[in-house]
Amino acid sequence: MAETKKLTRKEKKELKERMKHLKSGKLEKRYARVGYIFMIPWFIGAAIFLAYPLGSSFWYALNNIRITPLGRIFNFVGHGNFTQILIEDPDFMIYLVDYLMSTALSVPIIVVFALLIAMMLNMKIKGKGFFRLIFFLPVIIVSGPILGMLNAEGAGSVSAIDTAALSEAIGSVLPSIIAKPISDVFGNMITTLWYSGVQILIFLSGLQKIDKSMYEAAKIDGGSAWECFWKITLPNMRSMIMLNTIYTVVFISNNSDNPIIQLIKESMFSGTKEKGYGYASAMAWLYSIVVLILVGLFALILMTRKDQYEKQVKRAIKARKKEKRNKLKVERRNRRNARRIEKQRAKGKITTHNTKREDY
Amino acid sequence: MKKRMMSILLAGCLSMGAFAGCGGGNGAAGGNGGAGGNAGGNAGSAANVTNDYELITVEGSTHQYKKYKDMTTENITLNYFHFDQDETVKLLADRFMKIYPNITVNVQYENVANYNTTLSTLVSNGEAPDIIMHSDCDYALSNMLLADVSAYFNSDEETKNLADTINSAGLGTYNLEGGMRYSVPVKFFPGAMFIDRNVLETLNLNVPTQNWTWPEMIQLIKDATVLDSPDGMAYYGLGYYNRLDSYYGIAARQDIIGEFGFNGKTFDLADWAVGEQEFSNLKIGGYIAPVTETQAMEDWCGDWEGWAGNTGHAAIFSEAFWTFQNTWNTPGYKDTYNLDIVPYVIPAVSDADAGENHHSIATIDYGGITTSCQYPREAYELLKFMSFGIDGWYTRCEIYADETIVNAMGTALKYDVMPVPITKDEGVWEEYIKVFCAGMDEEHTQLWRDYFKSCMQPISFGWTSIAGYWNFCDQYFNSIGIHDLVDAGTAQAADYVEEANRKANYYHAQAMLDYFGPNAYNVLTEAEIAEYEQMKTDNQ
Repeated sequence: MAETKKLTRKEKKELKERMKHLKSGKLEKRYARVGYIFMIPWFIGAAIFLAYPLGSSFWYALNNIRITPLGRIFNFVGHGNFTQILIEDPDFMIYLVDYLMSTALSVPIIVVFALLIAMMLNMKIKGKGFFRLIFFLPVIIVSGPILGMLNAEGAGSVSAIDTAALSEAIGSVLPSIIAKPISDVFGNMITTLWYSGVQILIFLSGLQKIDKSMYEAAKIDGGSAWECFWKITLPNMRSMIMLNTIYTVVFISNNSDNPIIQLIKESMFSGTKEKGYGYASAMAWLYSIVVLILVGLFALILMTRKDQYEKQVKRAIKARKKEKRNKLKVERRNRRNARRIEKQRAKGKITTHNTKREDY
Repeated sequence: MKKRMMSILLAGCLSMGAFAGCGGGNGAAGGNGGAGGNAGGNAGSAANVTNDYELITVEGSTHQYKKYKDMTTENITLNYFHFDQDETVKLLADRFMKIYPNITVNVQYENVANYNTTLSTLVSNGEAPDIIMHSDCDYALSNMLLADVSAYFNSDEETKNLADTINSAGLGTYNLEGGMRYSVPVKFFPGAMFIDRNVLETLNLNVPTQNWTWPEMIQLIKDATVLDSPDGMAYYGLGYYNRLDSYYGIAARQDIIGEFGFNGKTFDLADWAVGEQEFSNLKIGGYIAPVTETQAMEDWCGDWEGWAGNTGHAAIFSEAFWTFQNTWNTPGYKDTYNLDIVPYVIPAVSDADAGENHHSIATIDYGGITTSCQYPREAYELLKFMSFGIDGWYTRCEIYADETIVNAMGTALKYDVMPVPITKDEGVWEEYIKVFCAGMDEEHTQLWRDYFKSCMQPISFGWTSIAGYWNFCDQYFNSIGIHDLVDAGTAQAADYVEEANRKANYYHAQAMLDYFGPNAYNVLTEAEIAEYEQMKTDNQ
């Protein structure tokens, strides 16, 4: 077995230089080309449907826009639209607080409900496929107008829950700005749960990827189902929980029934001179920043952390490396000291005890 | 770490793209449109209406139509975008195409709720229609949708015979000193007070005369309110759809040209405040019937979704004009309920005005030719045919008279928001009365004739005819909820007059400068600009 030689810094540099001038082979080139070709549609799509609308929307937000049959008229107002929204538009701030409260409440409800349903659907039950269909059906059926009709008929709330009494009770304890979104969540409980179809599927795929031998090992060690959930299922599903949380936040925030989306739409086509496309764009930007912060917060809370075992291994490796370094340091110091003593002795500056002993 | 950053970046892109992108509309190219420089164009500047025509008859009608000789002979297409009754408009378009076979009319309907949205989308896509209807003028003017049609309108002999205020109050001209006209009345629904004569008879009250006054009406409302009636169900004096504040404000003043005491330049809400307070006092005093979907309605007639108009226990109604033909006059309704609903003009406030034709509020939807229209002369003729034109109205009467022509719900078009002619042409009115009063006895027909004669001094709701009115309502009036405050008795309407006048003047001046100033239509004189600037400063 060939012994691997450790390269010096100089050699490493030379190798790097040589690699730079090396021409890649035909196959490698073809792979690279195909890679770029595969990426081109995404780049084109992102440029047309993401970057350009984003840029346009930001430009609109800085203008007062009139859409006339003879063309669009842009009057640059700088941050005027933003200040007007924040200072003069009471609806926006009220809706924003409502949105934040209801999202903070409904996202955990949806995600937890989806996880529970996914776990049940992952169990060995008859008609599993049928139940999966049942839970996914609302995603297909409950589009905007149908959902509106169902809500109008009172199908969005659980009839067993006395929402009026609940709202009254919450309202008596909390200020109305907080009480209203909470009451709304209870009032639209069914609607909220209908939003969990996609999340259930994502959780299901995550659950099916968990190695079954982990559960078997845990059961051999006497672990209960409850312990298995906390020690195996939940840690393994953490990344899926984050994904579903972000998906749910984006879904709720972008839903056509969301009052802020309605407000943006109304502003876009408002007859009042102050509003219009520019004003609506500014509102959309402010809203998107808030949503982004919310997504960031959820991501920070739920971001996957490495598990304890891995941490301990890393810590041990680190400690061993440190120990090794210290050992080397001591050895080097000892050698250095020995050389110095040797030199001094050669010059006759040091008289060793050995000589004296010999004299005795 | 890289993966983490990447995932955060992608999540950021997803949410930013989803929300910020939605404000960008269709993502169409930005670019500056041609601001200023009379960008609105002048549809009527090139030519007038010559009033030179030949009379022709078309298949399926005995009426002789005017075919104007100054219309193009080229094959052209005109797009008519509207929120009128769609089946009626399509039939009118067919008739117009028979008169002018070289003109193809494309009719596009959108309901009022989505009208502005769809219109904006069409305009931003470069597919602006040639003719549009509009309800709130601020939307149409701020986006410079309407072209100046004054040359056509002023030279057209038919426009001299419209309801008086269309010309005298300059409805559709926005009171510009140059006399420019951007809108013409399309749909006209006069204001009315309806009385159920059976209720008055039951309560042994006298039926008022057509020349009644406001105090008489208020007294009648009070007299007709009997909460402990022998039949166990309370009688109320007024069942309301419209509040009475603007009814009063307009009927009280013969020198105004718009709602809220608008005289063409400034507002005076003093009379509005009297009406507002009077209405709220009636409400607080219990003289007004409960409204639908309230506990009070459930308690009154045992039906949460009940309506005062069919209880037979409400005497006077401030319902919209169309409620009569839509509901009370439909065969099913007449057979089911024992009602005798008759129309009254909105009463004059003073005795002096009561004997005369006085101002009364009206719902008028306007229309105009768009600034991008390539054939303004032809578009004007089509607009006229669809709105106030005599030929158009003869055609409408034919359509309404034929009850076999139905809408998508299977209802005859007569019962589907049939408007009133805004022309005073006697021939049209004879036809209209025949259709409107079909099946009525002579007494009722005469009551309707009298009513129609007395409602031809209409003043339209402010948002349709006053620049900046909607801004005022949106930013001030509705945002502080004056109606609710006064109704609750926590404030007096008169307390708001001074502040509301200032605010209304400010928003109007600002709108006039924005819409008609140098950065838009650019039709204001220097004196007008200075005047509106001063008005803005004074009321800031």
